[in-house]
Amino acid sequence: MTTLQSAHEPALTFDFRPTLQPNRLKGLWQMMSDYRLSYIAATAALAISALSKTFTYILLRFFADDVLGQKKYIGDSLTSSLIWIGLGFIGLAAFEGSFAFLSGRLAAYTAEGITRRLRDFLFDHIQRLSFSYHAITPTGDLIERVTSDVDALRRFFSEQAIGVGRIVLLFVINFVAIYNLNSELALVSVVVIPVILLVSIWFFKKVTKAYEDYQAQEALLSTTLQENLTGVRVVKAFARQDYEKSKFEKDNWGKYLKGKILLFMHSMFWPLSDIVLGFQMLFGFVYGANMAIRGEITLGTYIAYIGLVVWLIWPIRNLGRIIVSTSTGMVSYGRLMEVVKQQREPLLDGRHQPEGPARGDLVFEDVSFMYSDGKSDVLRNVSFHAKPGQAVALLGSTGSGKTSLVNLLPRFHEYTGGRVLLDGVELKDYSRAYLRKQIGIVEQEPFLFSRTIRENIMYGVGRDVPMEEVEHAAKAAAVHDVILTFPDGYNTLVGEKGVTLSGGQKQRVAIARTLLKNPRILILDDSTSSVDTETEAEIREALNGLMQNRTTFIIAHRIQSVMIADLILVLDKGEVVQMGTHAELLKDPNGMYRRIYDIQTKIDAELENEISRVN
Amino acid sequence: MSEELIELEEEEFTSQLTAPVFKRILGLLKPHWKWVLGFLLTIAITSALDAYFTYLNKQFIDQGIVLKDTARVLHLATIYGGFIILQAGTVFTFIYLAGVLGERIQYDLRKMLFNHLQDLSLSYYAQNAVGRLIARVTSDTGRVSELLTWGLVDSTWSAMNIISSTVFMLIINWRLALIVLMIIPIMIFIAIEFRKRILEQFRISRRANSKITGAFNENFQGTRVVKALGREDENTREFQGLTTRMYHASYRAAWLSALFLPTVQIIAALALGFIVGYGGLQIQIGNMTIGGIQAFVAYLTFMLWPIQELARVYAETQHSIASAERIFKLVDTPPDIHNRPDAVEAKTLLGEIEFDHVDFFYEDRKSVLSDFTLKVNAGETIALVGPTGGGKSTIVNLLCRFYEPSKGVIRINGRDYMDYKLESIHNKIGIVLQTPHLFSGTVRENIRYGDLKADDSRVEEAAKIAGAHDFIVTLEKGYEQNVGESGNLLSVGQKQLISLARAVLARPELFIMDEATSSVDTLTESLIQRGMEALMKGRTSFVIAHRLSTIRRANRILVIENGRIAEQGTHAELLKLRGHYYRLYTQQFRHQLEVAYGVAEPVDGGEREGVSADSIMLKREKPSEEAVSAD
Repeated sequence: MTTLQSAHEPALTFDFRPTLQPNRLKGLWQMMSDYRLSYIAATAALAISALSKTFTYILLRFFADDVLGQKKYIGDSLTSSLIWIGLGFIGLAAFEGSFAFLSGRLAAYTAEGITRRLRDFLFDHIQRLSFSYHAITPTGDLIERVTSDVDALRRFFSEQAIGVGRIVLLFVINFVAIYNLNSELALVSVVVIPVILLVSIWFFKKVTKAYEDYQAQEALLSTTLQENLTGVRVVKAFARQDYEKSKFEKDNWGKYLKGKILLFMHSMFWPLSDIVLGFQMLFGFVYGANMAIRGEITLGTYIAYIGLVVWLIWPIRNLGRIIVSTSTGMVSYGRLMEVVKQQREPLLDGRHQPEGPARGDLVFEDVSFMYSDGKSDVLRNVSFHAKPGQAVALLGSTGSGKTSLVNLLPRFHEYTGGRVLLDGVELKDYSRAYLRKQIGIVEQEPFLFSRTIRENIMYGVGRDVPMEEVEHAAKAAAVHDVILTFPDGYNTLVGEKGVTLSGGQKQRVAIARTLLKNPRILILDDSTSSVDTETEAEIREALNGLMQNRTTFIIAHRIQSVMIADLILVLDKGEVVQMGTHAELLKDPNGMYRRIYDIQTKIDAELENEISRVN
Repeated sequence: MSEELIELEEEEFTSQLTAPVFKRILGLLKPHWKWVLGFLLTIAITSALDAYFTYLNKQFIDQGIVLKDTARVLHLATIYGGFIILQAGTVFTFIYLAGVLGERIQYDLRKMLFNHLQDLSLSYYAQNAVGRLIARVTSDTGRVSELLTWGLVDSTWSAMNIISSTVFMLIINWRLALIVLMIIPIMIFIAIEFRKRILEQFRISRRANSKITGAFNENFQGTRVVKALGREDENTREFQGLTTRMYHASYRAAWLSALFLPTVQIIAALALGFIVGYGGLQIQIGNMTIGGIQAFVAYLTFMLWPIQELARVYAETQHSIASAERIFKLVDTPPDIHNRPDAVEAKTLLGEIEFDHVDFFYEDRKSVLSDFTLKVNAGETIALVGPTGGGKSTIVNLLCRFYEPSKGVIRINGRDYMDYKLESIHNKIGIVLQTPHLFSGTVRENIRYGDLKADDSRVEEAAKIAGAHDFIVTLEKGYEQNVGESGNLLSVGQKQLISLARAVLARPELFIMDEATSSVDTLTESLIQRGMEALMKGRTSFVIAHRLSTIRRANRILVIENGRIAEQGTHAELLKLRGHYYRLYTQQFRHQLEVAYGVAEPVDGGEREGVSADSIMLKREKPSEEAVSAD
């Protein structure tokens, strides 16, 4: 499936599919490839920075013991020694600061770099997933994954992965430093560390739970608020303001109470851990002071110790928080991998790669189609022949299989039985990219993008189009005059920040878009008729122009729309029940076509009746 | 517009503190002054103790170790231990007091805003996007309470820490302390400048992020077009442009943050280097102790944190003040529509209703309805037809007194309806909207919304009249079935039936219905029809009509176009005219029968997934007539 890393695809820097690993940590490590070096460098810089800080205290020890205590001077005087020591402090701080910055910058480079290519990959990957995947996956769910879950991974790389490293390094370096000063002192300084680590992990797990409760209550409150504001007419019409106030009051107070619980937990944990860690420090101070008084350690050692021990003890509390929060990153990794593991639709695979455009000769031979769940046939034994330039109309009710049939042509779905031949070659031998280039689709209410009208018309043409050509297409689609009435003409934005187009206008923009694309095969969806009468004639005219010299499939429900077709297929429950021209089909008195025709004639008659009744 | 975008947009606004706003913000704390005093006091003690611990360490060295006085060490340790416990107490107190007060202020503000929103008139909603109002109640309240509690805590802690450290340093050696005092303002200044720049980058990156989300959303929804036009490669290339922008901004924000502490640290180190050198000399002449030097080192090293906090609070304060101003502005908006001082109870709405040359327009907008005159007798049914945006919903909104005429008078039983009490009009009106609006909760709760005092049997009776009972009992939990957020677990037809039942229960005298354009299955359709008929019996009704049966049954039909009555009369009269009504009718006739015979597909009135919430807000964005009729 992954054969197509050709020039056709944009240069994506990284393929995330190999990062799908049963072991999540291993997968995350895979994701870091190319950035591992910078991550390691960030950690190393952090170590150097931490070491520099440690050496600040060692220098303080030298200052106290050697210079002040034993009068061992650098150079020949106290003054020159003091200058050197002062410069030493400044130098160490500069070192510490520079490496801290370097580490921060490298960590940001790693995290932001990985996130960027992850976003790029997901965007590209998801749009290459099959049509059926998109049909069954809710947009909201996908959006949630590509935003929140990606962000959780970003935090994993930028804060958690490096944060754990930072605290562990601080601990190790300062422990080793104190151990070197005096091993006994080092050991008495860390007595409560394992306890506090375990307790903080336990606490932050609890807090995470309480926080989720708090957020759930907040969501409830938001829902009440949103429903009230969007339903303001109902509230006012029933004069239910007081009721609404008391309902909101309940949720509002509920949030206050949940917040109180959360805060109580915090206000217990922090001071209690303060006491434990504070007494651990004090214990070290007293123990060290007594050693110093007994002469077991020097005064300088003691001074260095009380500086270093701070960096040994206090960060441990936060380690618990970070460890607990990594679980979020892990869960997000899993959720993203569910998307990553989906099979892509190979766009370029195909044995038959013709040079020029297709002629548009389509033969269906006993074609059947069912969805992969295999429950029921959507299409059964469909056979017909559409010659180049002919118009084929598909007539039938909802669920009769019209849309499924045309979806086979661009290979949105693959037929499961029989064969479809385009210019004598089976459809499955063509690449999807080639087929889609040959096919244009105009839907009843087409999807337009929030770009300018001009960009929407040019969308998907894949080449630079001069303005005259765009205007020409718009004129042919009978939408040019409408566009000129918009504030910025062709540069007017469509949608949220620009103009809202009516259904008919959207359709004509789509016709212009298709005219520019100039496909050999055309699919027109005409199955609903919400367009008002005035524009219908214009659209019809634009469509007729579009159909010239193209093999056209018209999805329709109204006899008027299909009468002119060269071939009409009447579909019912996935089967072609009748086939022929308008004149031929009318001849069968028991046929479905005749029935639909009769109904529509009847409708017209009823209308006439009603009108004449009142007259 | 999504809430995120609104928030981004509003973050652009920062405000300088003015005296009245400041006074008003502080006014929010007034009822809770004991709590404020409590946490300010305890955070100040906490902070001072932090500085004092460093001083105690100096005493350990100078009085204990240097003098080899073990008893003194133990004595100091006792004091130290006592203060650790005291500090634990103050930490508990300030976290609890400030935190709970923060929640309380949020609660107060939300309550104040929500209650005021209930009183504001519909025109306010038409001109303010729901997303914006939600942002007022959720994020703005959060930001203000954050400023008033944690903002105060952090700045008090920082200020107190700097002050008490300075005091101790002055006690230890005033000459050296003066040097430290000189660099503190420099450090604070640099810190604030850094903060501003970091915030700026952060905002750029968030804006890029919302564009990225937009691109994802659009691409998912337009999959069919993307695939059909083979746009994959170009889309990815364009998308890479967006992620590149995001990358640069967030990378910059991250490394600026990483640069911030080291910069301040190095400035501190310059002072430190000087202190150690100069302090060494002072020791020689007895002006300084070794413990004193150690204390100076500790004070300077930890001064980074309060400075960082001060800068953060300062940078965020401006946004919080802007939030407070927005909250105050909403609360200060008076409702357009309110009872006149001498308003009387409207005894009944059943009677003559008259629109007398009524005009309606929004502030500085072109007229929505002009010179509208209509007399309706008790029990009549009026059908309003015509294109979207023509003015049909405005007529209905005026009738309900959701809006009041800009010109002209509306009379009920011969009296200007503005003389009546608002509630006395509203509680006699039953309304069914085009897209029926339900609330989260059970079916029963939703029907009971029509009359809160109704007992279960009356609720069920109303459901039977409206034709909703039969489907309700087929639901898994019957009347106790949860309808989901905004009733989304039910179908459109079911929602319509429930809102009909709700209106039935209210026993209105005036019934207003905005018929749905989206189709429902035939059975539900006929149920709705019957329910409507039951409701209209003996009542004056206004129906924005789409169904032929409704139109035909009306006593009078008004074709509304461009804010005016284009045609008016009975069905037969209007058909004869062969004008607007004739065209609308024949088109609708054909389509409806085609659907009925199963040869045409109904127009899908459902919402596209993923855009629904946004599009609701979007529609509200534009203060047009459509905006208000959208729900």
